[in-house]
Amino acid sequence: MPKSDLFAGLFLTVFGLLTLFVLIPTQTSSGGDATISPALLPQICAIGITGLAILLTMRAAGRIRSGKAAGQVVPHAEWLSSIAVIVGVGGGVALFKFVNPAVAAGVMIVGLMLYMGERRIWLLVGIPAVLLVGAWALFYRVLGTAIG
Amino acid sequence: MQDLMAVAGDALAPGNVAWVLFGVTLGYLVGALPGLGKGTATAVAIPLTFYLEPLSAIAFLVGISKGSTAGSAVSAILLNTPGEPSSTPTAMAGYPLARAGKAQKALKMGLFASVIGDLFSTIVLILIAQELAAYALGVGPVELTAILAFSMVFIAGLSGRSLIKGLIAGLFGILVSCIGLEVETGSPRLTFGMIELYDGLPLIPVAIGMLALSEMMIQIGQRHRLAEESDLLKGSNKPEDMRVTLDDWKRCLRPIVRGSLIGTVIGILPGLGASVGSFLSYGAERKASGRGADFEESGAIEGVAAAESADNAVVPASLVPLFAIGIPGSVIAAILIGAFTIQGITPGPLLFLENKDLILGVYISMLAASIILLFIGYFGQNMFARIVRISPALIMPVVVFLCCVGAYLQGGGVFGISVMVIFGVIGFFTKKYDFSFVTFLIGFVIGPSFELSLRQSLGLVTNLSEMADHPVALVFGVLAVVGVWRLTVMQRKQMEAMSRREDAAARSEREARTNNIEQPRESTT
Repeated sequence: MPKSDLFAGLFLTVFGLLTLFVLIPTQTSSGGDATISPALLPQICAIGITGLAILLTMRAAGRIRSGKAAGQVVPHAEWLSSIAVIVGVGGGVALFKFVNPAVAAGVMIVGLMLYMGERRIWLLVGIPAVLLVGAWALFYRVLGTAIG
Repeated sequence: MQDLMAVAGDALAPGNVAWVLFGVTLGYLVGALPGLGKGTATAVAIPLTFYLEPLSAIAFLVGISKGSTAGSAVSAILLNTPGEPSSTPTAMAGYPLARAGKAQKALKMGLFASVIGDLFSTIVLILIAQELAAYALGVGPVELTAILAFSMVFIAGLSGRSLIKGLIAGLFGILVSCIGLEVETGSPRLTFGMIELYDGLPLIPVAIGMLALSEMMIQIGQRHRLAEESDLLKGSNKPEDMRVTLDDWKRCLRPIVRGSLIGTVIGILPGLGASVGSFLSYGAERKASGRGADFEESGAIEGVAAAESADNAVVPASLVPLFAIGIPGSVIAAILIGAFTIQGITPGPLLFLENKDLILGVYISMLAASIILLFIGYFGQNMFARIVRISPALIMPVVVFLCCVGAYLQGGGVFGISVMVIFGVIGFFTKKYDFSFVTFLIGFVIGPSFELSLRQSLGLVTNLSEMADHPVALVFGVLAVVGVWRLTVMQRKQMEAMSRREDAAARSEREARTNNIEQPRESTT
């Protein structure tokens, strides 16, 4: 997968450099009189990631030059599904904060079922109902804790 | 002896056995569903264990991992859709049998092989983990740093197709584990001023995101393929097609023994995983049979037995490095660390001194889980065969809901869900771009102990000549360097072979296309 390796290598090189020169200096304190800086391990990791990412990029570029480029890494349907899951969970979180947990969970489950092509009303109502009642019984009654 | 009886009494108490039973059943059910594997099943179930006694919690999770490993054979054989990569050989050998009306025979042999492999590997775990732990107790920080570095290189090189990508994933895991208060000075690192990050990222939401949510993103994208898996299974009225005969046992005994051994050895070595075990065992049996491509075309009961015995033997054996040294050698072991932590227990050599009763109880529960697995699989076979055909549109949203509940409970509320979503996206790209998420998770889990031992080592060894006082560390350091070199050479050869295959395939495709163009011309003239 030379094309995807090239893309991943370039992305990780930029990520590694940003981590090394921006994130670690601004987000890690000096550690006072500590003999070993708290930034040591993050720096080792960032240097390692950058170095290896450059190597990955160079290898991928070499393979592309020799005419071995592959096709699409993430199919269109999987892009859409990942966005659908993120929107579903994100929407659920927003409803959880501003409405209530039951509505949030119900909307998320029904939304994903609809996205996946389920149109039978009794299932669209029944499955969220069973899950919510089940979760309530398990956490509030059997295990004696609470959600939300 | 009295202690052992008391522990056995606890482990076999109805309450504990009920959790093992529930774990195996749940695991078998989830494993049987297409697209869901043991990682997803175990990660999603972890939050439940927060409310259980330590023994029941660990036994429940081990039950889930054993059940789901065996259960993944159901969708592999019936739908040609392995729940996880390690069941692919089972699908290759078992699906043709199902199409020939021998589904029940293949499922039964798969189950028997799974139970035998699992039981054998559990016994090996019981026999060697404590012995290894006794040696591990003498290991100092310098040696531990070298062992952890060696393990990371080993895991990075063998758990994926590229050593470079594996090392990047492992380093990224360690980098992410640095988020939070630094262990020695207590100063915040990479926290962006967020108080929630001071304790570091919570393991369970990270694991659920990387394993389960990312898998759901991929599976939902492939829902049409899953739904369209045509029902090509034939029924059969012949009794010999529905049960395992003496002749089948004679054919399968050797592959099962070989598979159990391969799976156990592969499981003990950190990072290799169940896929390597099942493919190696399947390949060995395919070669031994001398049937070549017919092995996949007509199906082979011995192929199912070889793959399943090795696949299931890997799970208990992968707990050897976890129990003995505290290094998680597999995804299941990494997730189990989360469960141990929830219970306030640190896996590693001290486990056998500080929590001897617990570990004995876990062993007894694991043996009980193997027996329960046999009964659940045998008597629930028809039920699981029906469940496997449930539409993905009903299963996937439920799994996403369970992911959210798990992340919420273990990640401090909505923060946990946010962490899960972020790592779900990272996991999605990790899988699509072929970076090893196993190495990332293991790096994330061992990150804090690696940092601690590295800091102690830097205090103990101030110049390189002092390394002569640590021969074990030197050996592992050399092994890590040699490992990088050997793995690089090995993977370069594999890449060249793959490249040659791709070229040959492209050439034959071009030739076929040329022939197709020329044939109509000939027919018109």
